[in-house]
Amino acid sequence: MDFSSEAASIGVTGPSGAGKTTLLNCLAGLIAPDQGRIVIGSRTLFDRDQGIAVPVEQRRAGYVFQDARLFPHLKVSANLAYGERLGGATGDQIDRDQIIDVLGIAALMDRWPANLSGGETRRVAIARALFANPKFLLLDEPLASLDHARAEEILSMIEQLGPSLAIPMIYVSHQPQEIARLTDTVLNLA
Amino acid sequence: MISALEWSIILLSLKVSLVAVAVTLPAAYALAWVLARRRFSGHSLLDALVHLPLVVPPVVTGWLLLILLGRTGPVGALLDRWFGITLVFHWTGAALAAAVMALPLMVRAMRLSIDAVDRRLVAAAQTLGASRWHAFRTITLPLTLPGILAGAVLGFTRSLGEFGATITFAANIPGETRTLPLAIYTGLQVPGGEAAVTRLAIISILLSLAALMVSEWLIRRNTNGRAHLV
Amino acid sequence: MPHRRTMTVVARLFLILALALSACGKSQSSADGPVVMAPSSLQEALEEVVDAWAARGHDRPVLSFAGSPVIARQIRSGAPADIVLLADEQWMDVLEAENLLADNTRLALLGNRLVLVSPLSSNGGEISGNLDSLPILLGQQRLAMADPASVPAGRYGKMALQSLGLWEQLSGQIAPTENVRAALALVERGEAPFGLVYASDLAASDKVRLAGEIPEAAQPPIRYPAALLTSSTNPDARAFLAFLTAPEAEAIFAKYQFFRLAQR
Repeated sequence: MDFSSEAASIGVTGPSGAGKTTLLNCLAGLIAPDQGRIVIGSRTLFDRDQGIAVPVEQRRAGYVFQDARLFPHLKVSANLAYGERLGGATGDQIDRDQIIDVLGIAALMDRWPANLSGGETRRVAIARALFANPKFLLLDEPLASLDHARAEEILSMIEQLGPSLAIPMIYVSHQPQEIARLTDTVLNLA
Repeated sequence: MISALEWSIILLSLKVSLVAVAVTLPAAYALAWVLARRRFSGHSLLDALVHLPLVVPPVVTGWLLLILLGRTGPVGALLDRWFGITLVFHWTGAALAAAVMALPLMVRAMRLSIDAVDRRLVAAAQTLGASRWHAFRTITLPLTLPGILAGAVLGFTRSLGEFGATITFAANIPGETRTLPLAIYTGLQVPGGEAAVTRLAIISILLSLAALMVSEWLIRRNTNGRAHLV
Repeated sequence: MPHRRTMTVVARLFLILALALSACGKSQSSADGPVVMAPSSLQEALEEVVDAWAARGHDRPVLSFAGSPVIARQIRSGAPADIVLLADEQWMDVLEAENLLADNTRLALLGNRLVLVSPLSSNGGEISGNLDSLPILLGQQRLAMADPASVPAGRYGKMALQSLGLWEQLSGQIAPTENVRAALALVERGEAPFGLVYASDLAASDKVRLAGEIPEAAQPPIRYPAALLTSSTNPDARAFLAFLTAPEAEAIFAKYQFFRLAQR
């Protein structure tokens, strides 16, 4: 595929199995495509012909997984601090207090991931990705299998946070309403 | 209550078993990790070799150790010539025999817990900036801690009870290789030695019970709050 | 479908194999001679004596070798044997005290001698005299011998070393084994530089050499008693026990360095 955009937020949509998650994995560096180039911002993350392949840990992708993937042996606060300790030192572009505030997770800090509800898990996952001070954001169906009230809640949180982040956001969903509200451009993989 | 001789036997057994487990722990974890996470052409062969001491009669294992590591064996002769190390007749030989017999149990326990760790968690850690090694240290290793503990305790109790390979390889030297099981066996040879043997047998059972209870406590302590570790 | 067929074939093969093996087993055990339990040092000699007995047309005796303490323990626990040989009178006394021996069948059958051996490949000749230089030659290494606490060969060895005045010095430097053949094996393998074994063991092994004679004055009185057990049921048992004292058997034992004792 051939896609380029100047937009701040890009929606990726398409039916199941179309490769939306695969695309995100390629951008994050978890999978390497057979051929092609990946450029985000001004950084070339991957170029098969030139032999460039930036490893996962250096891509600074803030990846919010569809299954959240919180670390079960760390409390919420430690989960958040995980990425912070690894990449957050360089400049304070991210206002952590604001993120905690908007996502409403202050009360969850001392909890274990196993004891969180679905909605709480998603919010912590988003915060964890942001706390690592990423250069771009990848969200894989963050509202999937949430009831309408929770989904609406998190949707407005993302809406609120989006503009202040100043990093590109790639948002995968098969719900056109979410795409419409959150993103400027749409890439349809159908 | 416990005679000086009995104390020395107990301490020797503890020393041999602790050293056996401590030395084998990293090797067992490495083997468990390779078997759990990597696919390669010699995979089943390695798996079978690791399990060999579990299925082969202990005396045969001891005999194989003797062929390789006895003073005239290929490895043993080198150890003797280069480092002046002999394992036969020494507690280090007893520890090695115990280690070899305990290895398969330790690998199995650790492999189970490594298998249970969701690899997608490692991927998540990497996206947050962790190198493979850092992700291993902070995610995989802590999550497999119960398996490590279970493996260590299994290995320890197996070492405490190890007999066939020890007596065949390291021989039955009082104070050096005459561990608790060997002392009990030797005691049975002497007419009227049943009384002494009974005491040693009770001590042996109590030691194993203690080890199991300590392990339960350790495992419970380390899985607090991690309700879904299975 | 093919899976089920394979399982049926495998099951049938297994059944046939099991039946065949059990049939084999039965035919072998139907005509056995008496069960003889004997010390491991008698292994080669007794095998030849049994051959001679079987060559005369008798049922072949079944031999079981172990250290004398183990044999005694097994018989006291009720092992179904006919004849027992042991390597010292003490262990035979234990069995007699428990009324396990048939009346008037006990006899002192054989004698033996102790020798010092070392691996065939080792250099150095024979230590002469009272073996005074043994501790020096042994250095930090160990002397292989049967366990002095319980095995006859070990007890005899301790007696000999005590007579030579070497026991105090060497008692902390031995490698005790559960029978004399295990001590021999340690020397054969080069794990121990010296071993204290029977002259019969030296004769039976081609991997060790004589390293020193125990002087006559220090030789302990080694006696191998033999007896019929009260639990014996084999009709051939008494005849075989008598054969052990016959000239033909005596010649075989002598060949392996066991000498016949004058009857007490």
